[in-house]
Parts: sequence; C-alpha cells; structure tokens
Amino acid sequence: MKTKFQVNNGILIVIVAALAVFPFVSDSRTWTILLTQIFIFSILAMSYDILLGYTGIVSFGHAMFFGMGAYATAIMLNRIEPTLGVFFLSIAVGMVIAGILSFLIGLLTLRLKSHFFAMLTMAVSGLFLVLAEKWRTLTQGNDGFTFRAPEFFKDRMMFYLLVLACLVLVYFFLRRFVNSPLGRVLIAVRENEQRTKSLGFQTLHYKVIASVIAGVVASLAGSLYAISLRFVNTSVLTMEITLDALLMTIIGGVGTLIGPIIGAGVIELAQHYLSGLAKDYPIFERWIIFFGIIYILAVIFFPKGIVGTIRYAYWKRKNNDLKVDVPAPKRKELIK
Amino acid sequence: MELIINLLINGLATGMLIFLLAAGLTLIFGLMDVLNFAHGGLFAWGAFSGVWFYGLTNSFTVAIIGAILTGIVLGFITEKLIITPVYGNHIQQILITLGFMIVLSEMLKVVFGPNQLAAKTPPLLSGSWEIGDVIIIKYRLFIIIVGLIVFGVFQFILKRTKIGLIVRAGVMNKEMVQALGINIKQVFLYVFMAGAALAALGGALMAPYSGVVYAEMGMEFAILAFIVVVIGGMGSFPGSLLAAILVGLAGSFMAYYVPALSLAVNMMLMAIVLIFRPQGLFTAKG
Repeated sequence: MKTKFQVNNGILIVIVAALAVFPFVSDSRTWTILLTQIFIFSILAMSYDILLGYTGIVSFGHAMFFGMGAYATAIMLNRIEPTLGVFFLSIAVGMVIAGILSFLIGLLTLRLKSHFFAMLTMAVSGLFLVLAEKWRTLTQGNDGFTFRAPEFFKDRMMFYLLVLACLVLVYFFLRRFVNSPLGRVLIAVRENEQRTKSLGFQTLHYKVIASVIAGVVASLAGSLYAISLRFVNTSVLTMEITLDALLMTIIGGVGTLIGPIIGAGVIELAQHYLSGLAKDYPIFERWIIFFGIIYILAVIFFPKGIVGTIRYAYWKRKNNDLKVDVPAPKRKELIK
Repeated sequence: MELIINLLINGLATGMLIFLLAAGLTLIFGLMDVLNFAHGGLFAWGAFSGVWFYGLTNSFTVAIIGAILTGIVLGFITEKLIITPVYGNHIQQILITLGFMIVLSEMLKVVFGPNQLAAKTPPLLSGSWEIGDVIIIKYRLFIIIVGLIVFGVFQFILKRTKIGLIVRAGVMNKEMVQALGINIKQVFLYVFMAGAALAALGGALMAPYSGVVYAEMGMEFAILAFIVVVIGGMGSFPGSLLAAILVGLAGSFMAYYVPALSLAVNMMLMAIVLIFRPQGLFTAKG
C-alpha cells in the first residue's frame, strides 16, 4: 500500500526544466545570483538532513566540511591556475579531505550520546576556525583572498547551469541513497537505535557512513560557494553556516529531501528581502533575531517543517478516503 | 619562578571564570538531563548588564548584583519558555537552546548596540602588588577568591541543606525522588535560575578582566565550559571546579610556551577524556 506522498518525477522534471531555461528568458542578474545561492545552500541543507533528518544525529560542525571544500577550491585555483580542470580537481580534493576528516571524527565521536556529539562537533569545528585564522600563509585569515574563477564561468549563466546540474545530481544520488537498504538502516537508527542494534546492525558503522556522505556533499557545496563569490575567508567555517543549514532543514522539513531545498529557498529569499527592508526599518538589520524566534517556534510547534506537514496532511486525507479505521500514526515526531 | 607564579595566577583566574559558567551547566545537566546551549548567552548578558550597571551607578557591587539579577530573570524565562516545552526530547532540546542562544546574543546587539563596550576595573581592585619580583594583579586574585567563595557556598548548600540533599538525590536518581513526593520540576527551576545567576556573575567578573565585552564572547566561553563539563563529568560539581582549573592552567601555560597549541590543548584534553573515560574524570556521586 503506497500511502506516502512522493514527489512525482514528472513534476520535478518540469520544475528543473523551467529553472534551466530561466536565465535564457529573464536577464535579471539579481535573480540568477539569488537562485544560484539557493541551489548551493540546498545542496548543503540536503547533506545536513542526511544527518539530522535521516540518521537523527545533531552535528554543529557541518560548516567544517563546507569550509574544507571552499578552501580547497579557492586555494587550488589561486595557486595552480584558474582552469576548468583544476576546478574539478579541487572539488575532488575537497571531497576526499572532507571524507577522510568526517570518517575520523565520526569514528571518534559517534559512539557518544547525542549531547556529547553535538558539543564535540561544535568544538572541533571551532578548532578548525581558529586554525584557519592562525594559518595565515595558506588562508590569509579573516581578511581572506580573492581568486580568479575559470574562464568558463565568466558567464554567470554557465555557472548557474552547472550548480543546477549539481543540485539535481545530488538530489537523485541522495534519494537513491536514503531509499537503499543502507538508508533504511539509518532511518531505523533514528527511530530506535537500541532496537536496531539488537537486530544485529553495527549502528556505529552506519552512522559513520552517513556522516561521511554528508561531509562529502557539504564539501561540494563549499566548492561551488567559493566560486560563486570568487572570494573566500574564514566566514565559511563559522557557526553561521551550520545554523543556516540547520534552519533550512528544520523549516523545510526534516527527514525529506525536498524539504531542505524549499527551506533554502524560503530562507535565502527572506534574507534577501528582510535585509532590503533594513533601509527603512533599522530593526531589520538584526533580521537574524526573527530567524531565531521563527526557528524556536518551528521546533516547538511545527517540528515536521513545511514538507513534513503537507505530507502528513496528505497521508491523513488518503486514509480518510479509504474509510478504514487506521490508528493515528505512531511515528514519533520526525526529528526525535 | 616569578613567571610560573604569574602563569599560575592567570590560569587560576581564567579557570574560575570558566568554573562559574560550567557549574550551572553541569548541575542542570546532572539533574534533568538538559544540556543548555544557551548558557553562554546568559554569560554574555551578565557581562553586558554588569558593564551597564557599573556605568550607571559607578559601584561595582551594584554592577555585580545587577548582573546576577539579570541572570536570574533570564534563567526563569529560559526555563519556562524554552526548556519546559521540549522537556525529555534531547534533539529538540539541543536545537531549541541553540536557537535561543542566537536570540540572546542578537538581543544584546539590539539593546546595547552592535559594537563592543569597554569595561573598566573598579579603582579599588585595579593595580597590582609587588612581592619581590612577583607581580600579582589584584583583580585576578579577586576573581580567584570570588570563585572559591562561590564554590564553598554552593558546596555548603549542596551538602548541608535540605534543598541540596534533594538536588544531589535528583542527580543520582530523579524518578526515585519524584516517587518520594518531591516536585522535581520546581527544584529544577531553582537550579536552573541559580545556574543562570552563576553564569551572569561569571560574565560580570569577566568584563573588567578582558577589558571589553562583545556579543560573541558567550559562545567562546560556552565552548570552554562544555569542554570543562565533559572533562569534569556531567553532574559533578567538584569535578567542574577541578576541570575548569585544569583547562585554565593548560590554556595559560600553553599560551606562553606553545602559543599555536593554546586552543588545541583543550580539545585534545577533551578528546582523550572522551575516548578513554566517556563519563568524565569525576562521576556524579551523592
């Protein structure tokens, strides 16, 4: 019985096609840049959701992997030469470093309880931030450095299309991943780790795999982000990046892949317009405060997020149509 | 020798400040299994309100009392609005207290302006003593003494009074305490407010020590406090004092001898403790 609301592939293709032709139809630079930004953060938020939504672990160190990718790309393009080949090589290098790093950190910390894990990831990513600030010969610290992007990306449109392609690829890859037997085990870990263990799964291994996948994908997002700005400084490693990913995932809907994409769209657009309002109302210079409040309210009253809530409503309606007496879903709140 | 004594005093003073922050954190965690990521925000609020009261009245005593009261009020609000609704769900707790941390530090920028404020040392406590070649900065000694007094007072409350007995019993087994007819949520509220007050006191003492206060200081110190709580053992009050001193001393000696490693040393300490003794060096005993 297929009661779950699944995003139709047909609709997805139409949306992607519409987005792909968008820059050819409209020549609004602002929108192209804004959409590129949304796509990049969608990739980051999806990777975060593999941890938070699918495996049920809270990491406060996700910016570390994002920053790894951003620095790998920026440094290699700056030091070697700004060509397309080096760009792809740098993405691969960033991914490998992020993968190794998340593997090591995961192996050490994932055996701990959720509190400790959250704290430890926060501490380790704080360590990397300090490292990047101190290692000035490589990163130039907080001042950062600009670099030349490959000739190919001089045209914003090309870059837009590349990022869109990455987003689609990552989406399908992660969807395949969470629907694979491996992904099912991760969901089982989220729902009840003790029980999964007693069924004979070595849960630590699965959690480490989830954290490696999330780290590698986050590094890809970081590489793209660095190119989109053509500049990198230590802000890519700060807590703010992790918080952005967290907010997008929670608002969009944890435990879904479309949710983080929608969340990224909502947050980026709201950020764009709210900081625009700051000219008239000074309070909006501190727009983060509204996000903090919305976020707290979302955690308390709206834990399923936008997509989760729609999905639940759909599920309920479908069961009412069947006129069968189904018990209310026993599923614990999604992010438990 | 003088150098070592100076480094020792520096380390102890920093350790005491971290202890004030970590003490509340560890009790809150030990009693109700709540890890408060917003604790650093309370610390920063204590620092800012301390500076503000000092500027207003020019009396350091008033500044400290004002900061403590701010901490108590904020602690009450935090417990009622933030902790209670998600009680019992760890992941939601982590997420929501972190969200509140952001709100607290942004509120600081709204209320006190986005720039950092300068904090003055009260005249009575500024300056230093010279004993032979050893220069002892008065204010650092003051911090150490205050830290020890706070430790003594709290240790007395925990060991010698009825409420302390309930708290210690609650840390060990809260279901049993509840079964004996004690409203543990009420006790928890008090502990939370006391923890917030300690954090705010720490912030108020920190301000003249570092000379400036800024909104991000909450997060910086919270990370140190987390490390201390992990090393000292969740729920252990004496453990948090010893671990805080350890972290403070390690920081001050490393900052002098191997500056590049000064932050890494704490992380390494924590990593080693977590790998070999995940429950911390001291386990919470009654």
